[in-house]
Amino acid sequence: MIKQTIILIILSILLSVVANSISPENISWIGEYREISDGDGPIVPPSAEAGDPPFIDINIANIEFATKTSIFVDARDHEEFICGTIPGSISIPFEYMPDELEGYFETVLADVSLDYSIIVFCSGEECDLSLHLARNMQDLGYTGLKIFFGGAREWDNAGFELERREECDQ
Amino acid sequence: MRSIIHNDFITMLSRIIMGAIFIYASFYKILEPALFAKSIWYYHLIPGLLINILALVLPWLELVVGLALIGGVYYRGAVLWVNIMMVVFIIALSSTIIRGIDVDCGCFKAGGSATGSATESLLLDFGMFALTLQLLVSKSKRWMLQRIT
Repeated sequence: MIKQTIILIILSILLSVVANSISPENISWIGEYREISDGDGPIVPPSAEAGDPPFIDINIANIEFATKTSIFVDARDHEEFICGTIPGSISIPFEYMPDELEGYFETVLADVSLDYSIIVFCSGEECDLSLHLARNMQDLGYTGLKIFFGGAREWDNAGFELERREECDQ
Repeated sequence: MRSIIHNDFITMLSRIIMGAIFIYASFYKILEPALFAKSIWYYHLIPGLLINILALVLPWLELVVGLALIGGVYYRGAVLWVNIMMVVFIIALSSTIIRGIDVDCGCFKAGGSATGSATESLLLDFGMFALTLQLLVSKSKRWMLQRIT
């Protein structure tokens, strides 16, 4: 019996190695997951209302980032975006909102389905652009929205890397 | 009771049910390992370094063991594995309920937080565990592709 259990696990490991090497959905064997916050839960602004997209804490933001299962949307202006954002984020500055919003989504989020997981953030607690952008996106039919209200500052304070582009220094 | 446990037809039925469940459960995990890794993370049970390794190997183990159960190949090993996995699943789910973590089990689809289905999943697990225990003690040797020695 023991010999058979060993054969079965070795076969499974071999199959997983082969599958992960050829799959377009492959992931690294060693994940970068960390427990950061003390479990206090997400930061929720006083202006939050019932019906707003859910607020997430730094742990959830990190796991979504590490597993690449969400799109991060930076709601701050372009200058702040290029000088330090969560890596891989899309810039949708809320200063253009809400009239130009639909046209914006037809370009940067053209290939993203309405129910895909999207995490909206801005600077931090003093900034409510993320909340307003998320509400507008909700009105446009996006259903997988989440708000990371701790934003770029909480991300930075937790020791995570921010992406800074060369244009920032120019 | 003994005749029921060792009955060939009941044992075969248990093999098909458990094999099919394990095969079905492996599909989304194999196709979307990142989502399954996230489901594991939500349990807060194993070190971060091991999450992706488990997310990549466990689905294939489920598939291989499910096929082995139904086909009767490396059968005793497969029966031991399904029992080990059921015990681990039950412990993992129970711990989330005890610790008050609101987690979806991630058993058959992408898990996450706050769907509150852990208790239902645990009840289902206990039902499945009854079948795997029956397979463990059953002496039925019929309808196996590979002869049991």
